[in-house]
Amino acid sequence: MSGDKHFNADKIFIALIVLTALEVAWGLAGTDWNKTMLWGGLLFCAFFKGWLIAVYFMHLKFEGKVIYSLILPTPFLVMVIMGYVGSDVANSDAPYDHPVGSMKSVETGDIKENLHDIWHAHAEEAEAPSAP
Amino acid sequence: MSDSIAVYDPEVDAPAHHHPVYDYDSGPPVERGKFAIWLFLATEVMFFSGLIGAYIVLRSAAGSWPDPAERLAVNLTAINTFVLITSSWLMVKSLFAAAAGNQRGILFWLGLTILGGSLFVGIQVYEYFELYAHGASPRGDIFWSTFYIMTGFHGTHVVVGILWLICAWIKAAKGAFTPQNYLGLELAGLYWHFVDLVWVLLFTIVYLF
Repeated sequence: MSGDKHFNADKIFIALIVLTALEVAWGLAGTDWNKTMLWGGLLFCAFFKGWLIAVYFMHLKFEGKVIYSLILPTPFLVMVIMGYVGSDVANSDAPYDHPVGSMKSVETGDIKENLHDIWHAHAEEAEAPSAP
Repeated sequence: MSDSIAVYDPEVDAPAHHHPVYDYDSGPPVERGKFAIWLFLATEVMFFSGLIGAYIVLRSAAGSWPDPAERLAVNLTAINTFVLITSSWLMVKSLFAAAAGNQRGILFWLGLTILGGSLFVGIQVYEYFELYAHGASPRGDIFWSTFYIMTGFHGTHVVVGILWLICAWIKAAKGAFTPQNYLGLELAGLYWHFVDLVWVLLFTIVYLF
């Protein structure tokens, strides 16, 4: 095995737990907040936790150039994917014009709000005896 | 490399029969297993990036998106996140025990890691059953489709990780890991930490955004 890989795992663990608790509190408390503030805080916590896990638990801090050269292109490729995704998102004109969780009738154009009720209605129709 | 040539003793190191002797190593300057697992993990990063990218496109294309806290049990899943992070920490403890040559420590910490992972899967399966009983099927709407796809693929990775850790535990019970060589345990640990890392991001994106 290569090198001395000892670090204080307990401190990293406590940091991860505290960050997770902070993140959950932030996410639940901030439902009415500005989206940028809410998502910014959540992403900061998530990426900081990910960084701690990768650098310490996965020993990236102690690895050599070969492993870095293997893993470093990946964030770049992820950014390429997100770049393409971003252009798709930017050109989207929200084709689903009814809320998620509802259904739009093809015949009448009516929007039914609760999918659960719709499924039950379909199930009752299916169970009902058909007319002779 | 020159050192390895210098210490070569034909009386001792001569190969059996007519096997060739190479005075060089054409492999990467790290353990092959470690090289392979990092390469594999890089492909896994791309796999989950594709899933998250698809989620972003679908969510952005939707006119509205439900508040996850109204549909999902965020508190239960937060506890589950603690469980997975704890199991990741227990895995590190197991590696430290291996480095110190503490065989009982390896078995103890690795066993707890496996228990933590199993508890995570158990809670996720319970969550799925509860959601399904309340009419939340993958065909329900785009929210549920993306939810089941992302958490389902991650859950599958956790199950694979648990199986891998069980194999490592059996090897450890046979005394396969020594302070000089515990690479097999380290590779299983790398995969396990990666699964934890992915969950940290998925939990934020799926449950809190």
